[in-house]
Amino acid sequence: MDFRHPFFTNPRLSVGYGIFWLVASTVVVLIATLVNGVPVERAMIEIFAFIILYAVIGAAIWYVIKFSTLEDSGVLRIILAHLIAATIIVFLWMYIGVVIIKIFHPNTEEWLGQTVFNRAVAGYAMYVAFVIFFYAVNYYYAFKDKVKDETHLKALVKEAELQALKSQINPHFLFNSLNSISSLTMTDPARAQEMVINLSQLMRYSLKHDQHEKVSFKQELENNKLYLSIEKVRFGRKLNPVFAIEEACLNAEIPNMILQPLYENAIKYGVYEATEAVDVITHCKYIENHLVVSISNTYDKNVMSKKGEGIGLRNIRDRLQVIYANPHLMKIENTNNEFTVTLTIPQNPKNNE
Amino acid sequence: MNETLRTIIVEDEELARHLMKSFLNDIEGIELIAECENGFEGVKMINELKPDLVFLDIQMPKITGFEMLELLEHKPQIIFATAYDQYALKAFEYNAVDYLLKPYSRDRLEEAVAKVIARIQKEGKESDVIEKLGEFPREEYLDRIVVKDRNKIHIAPIDAVRYIESMDDYVMIYTNEGRWMKQKTMKYFETSLNPNDFVRIHRSYIVKVNEIAEIQQYEKESYIVILHDKTKLKVSKTGYKNLKDVLNF
Repeated sequence: MDFRHPFFTNPRLSVGYGIFWLVASTVVVLIATLVNGVPVERAMIEIFAFIILYAVIGAAIWYVIKFSTLEDSGVLRIILAHLIAATIIVFLWMYIGVVIIKIFHPNTEEWLGQTVFNRAVAGYAMYVAFVIFFYAVNYYYAFKDKVKDETHLKALVKEAELQALKSQINPHFLFNSLNSISSLTMTDPARAQEMVINLSQLMRYSLKHDQHEKVSFKQELENNKLYLSIEKVRFGRKLNPVFAIEEACLNAEIPNMILQPLYENAIKYGVYEATEAVDVITHCKYIENHLVVSISNTYDKNVMSKKGEGIGLRNIRDRLQVIYANPHLMKIENTNNEFTVTLTIPQNPKNNE
Repeated sequence: MNETLRTIIVEDEELARHLMKSFLNDIEGIELIAECENGFEGVKMINELKPDLVFLDIQMPKITGFEMLELLEHKPQIIFATAYDQYALKAFEYNAVDYLLKPYSRDRLEEAVAKVIARIQKEGKESDVIEKLGEFPREEYLDRIVVKDRNKIHIAPIDAVRYIESMDDYVMIYTNEGRWMKQKTMKYFETSLNPNDFVRIHRSYIVKVNEIAEIQQYEKESYIVILHDKTKLKVSKTGYKNLKDVLNF
């Protein structure tokens, strides 16, 4: 717990507090002199001696609240603590007030004596007002802390969610590619080397961009072309990538590594099961501040018993939902023997002029 | 060993096939008699050429390496070669000789071949690879059943299966597209089909829950189920209890 007085930690609060009491006492002095006809000097000494003095001593009430909270002590103990604190403060306040006044007016005994009881009652009432004020201050601070914690927590949760949803290069892709390289080293070392370089570049992209949420579509596309070129070595003529990309799309932003699982799916369900060449078609358009990317492939209906949305597609949907707070950015069409996934990525209009 | 091992490679990727071929070239006693690009071809070639040894990939177009094994009439020694390590246990349950993880080295392949030679010297050329099938619980339920109908291989998605009837050593699988015979036990299907979708209603029947139109009392203590196409199947006492559990009545 933080035991520093809010007046020290928050200068604005202490300045406001000071101004409030100065204004309040000035108003009281004005009323006393103008309405009740009390001499200005006496009104000023009396008011300042009591009101400002209370404002100074009263600041200490915050500690009483802080050290006897409901969480740690019972209601009775708190009431007792406040009663003792109130009595001490009221006594100090009245005593020091009288001392101050006596310094200026040594002969003021009679009117001071008459008002002792009223003053004490006012002192206790002020104590209650201060307690309420400080409770409000503490409550406000606690509330602000909570909001701060909550936003921080929310950011952490979002980050963790995104981390979990991020796709990684499938290890089997890696092992199969390494096996292809192993084979090429004997028959075609130049191609083996090319494949090692492509694979390294792809791995670097997938590792580096773990830290960045979004990349340019151009970059994402280039890396998926790398991915497809590596798979092409494995699948040969069976894999036929086709691209239809509008120029305007290239500078658009897209979450990194979000297309790769779509190509992976197209290969797994389309190319892998096929014995003939399969087109994996990428369409991209820029429509009203949205990047619309669709990836489609044909597949053999007789082999696949398609069971809805796999974990890869669900992760993409969830990831788009977390980033753009919209659950409708991924669309799946499964007609006859063609499977198409369309992503609609909202763009910041400023970035694309 | 004086005799050569007549060997077939079943592998869908050309480069992987090529690598294995060039490794095998250097091993004495291996005679490569065929290379197959997919499971269909694999089944046909193995049944036709009756090899001693088969190198088998698991993930392949059309049917997997495991599904292929179920369709074999000839029983060769099997060495799996795959990038997936999660099937190793299953492979040994199928009594495979070895399990090569891609990418593998020349030495590792030689070691696997040595194991085959050792096993053949001990047990003879025929392996018991097929007898072992289906005796082990699966990690996941079947999503299709591969059957062989004379020379054609048919893949029946589980959605199309209506019910299964036992016939001595075989089962008859009734689907929307026809019925197929397969050499499997009822026990195998009882454990490999999702129990929420299929119920064992009798010693001789496993029925898809969605196919059931009605359950009727037949005699005092016996029941029959009537399917949507009016087929009537007997329900045993235990079967009735199973139905009650799944359908919650």
